[in-house]
Amino acid sequence: MRTATGPEGGAVVKNLLGVVAALGGLAITLGAQVTVPVEGVGSGAHVSPDRLGKLGTDWTPVASAEVADGPTPRLHDGKPDLSGPWVGGGSNSDIERDGGLQPGELPLLPWARDLRDRREEANEPYLYCTPMGVPRKNPYPWRIVQAYTAKGPSYIFFLHENGDAGAHRQVFMDGRPHPRNPIPTWFGHSIGHWDGDALVIDTVGYNDKFWFDSMGTPHTEQLHTIERYSRPNYGTLNLEFTLEDPGALSRPVQLNFSARALPPDQDLMEFVCSENNQFGIAGGHTNIYLEKGFGLEVEVPAQK
Amino acid sequence: MRKQLCAVVVAFGLCCLTAPLVAHHGFELEYDKRKPVAAKGVISKVEWTNPHMRIYVDVTDEKGEVTSWNLELGSPNSVYRRGWTREDLKAGDTVSFTAYGGREVLTRAVADEITLADGRPFTGATGVPQ
Repeated sequence: MRTATGPEGGAVVKNLLGVVAALGGLAITLGAQVTVPVEGVGSGAHVSPDRLGKLGTDWTPVASAEVADGPTPRLHDGKPDLSGPWVGGGSNSDIERDGGLQPGELPLLPWARDLRDRREEANEPYLYCTPMGVPRKNPYPWRIVQAYTAKGPSYIFFLHENGDAGAHRQVFMDGRPHPRNPIPTWFGHSIGHWDGDALVIDTVGYNDKFWFDSMGTPHTEQLHTIERYSRPNYGTLNLEFTLEDPGALSRPVQLNFSARALPPDQDLMEFVCSENNQFGIAGGHTNIYLEKGFGLEVEVPAQK
Repeated sequence: MRKQLCAVVVAFGLCCLTAPLVAHHGFELEYDKRKPVAAKGVISKVEWTNPHMRIYVDVTDEKGEVTSWNLELGSPNSVYRRGWTREDLKAGDTVSFTAYGGREVLTRAVADEITLADGRPFTGATGVPQ
């Protein structure tokens, strides 16, 4: 792989800058190697080490190895503190690869595979500032908030710096069941419980509007997910993710993700995606959702 | 219009040369690795906004014609977490930049390297993944 600062790319860039300086009389400083301040996670994170800290449009630092190897923090009731903040730990560019499956291993029904293959990345709903849905995680920080009332654990909230788009993913921890025939939503209806040190969340009631990844892997409103979160040390949050969707998958499948903790001094920041979203203008893309709205663009075949 | 813009770029050294980059999908959706550009100009506006920071740089060619470049950076949060502040990029500052032009609109570019008025390389968050 060639890079902008690799043997060929670096020569080109330096030559170009040399010409610029000669013709324009400019005093451009050819950057010396930038010292990498801290390790981080970036979007399209195929950034070579000599460009880390310099490139990557979205970038989030992670805890040092020494901190990450520390013990699992716990709350006053002995439960693991899952608060983070975290980065990663879900699907993003390719749910099969991100979740540890081999190419083609996700058991998509033919119509769903065809749709994924036809979808174009420029039409990804997320690019238009919609919520990410589950189990997607972009390269921004997110955290789990374990809320209590006088009666004990009441709710758990998932807060994503970028990707909630005004929604609030809440998990009911009070023992209630799912409602009958819930209104489909971006994050669905979630109920949770503890299984020892693992947090288990069962979710139904998803809409079919979000993509699992930028490839366009689809799902239907029959989507049912079971998440099992565990924190083996300070720096790691593992997710065993069971994906069931009889409308789009021939059988349930399990994927595995792992999130990394940010350094302890980091917090979530405000991110209002729609305030100045100019996506599409530079590249000449049109928002196809303006008239038809978000959602599956094909009829789901009747099940046999 | 395109010809004029290329003239601006040529005046500062290059136009439409091939840069051997391997870009990720997000980059190629909007920007063209075959359109590397470089110039020096004056920042007219800095937007610490989401989902991307933007700086607008007015570049004057040898004929006195001014072109305003809309340069996309990373998100404000990514830039801030790397230690950069509003004091580092201000309207009125003179900066040099290299960037890659938009696939459809050349002057809507993604910044690669920015050199600040005081000579420091702005390494906060620029946007060309390899």
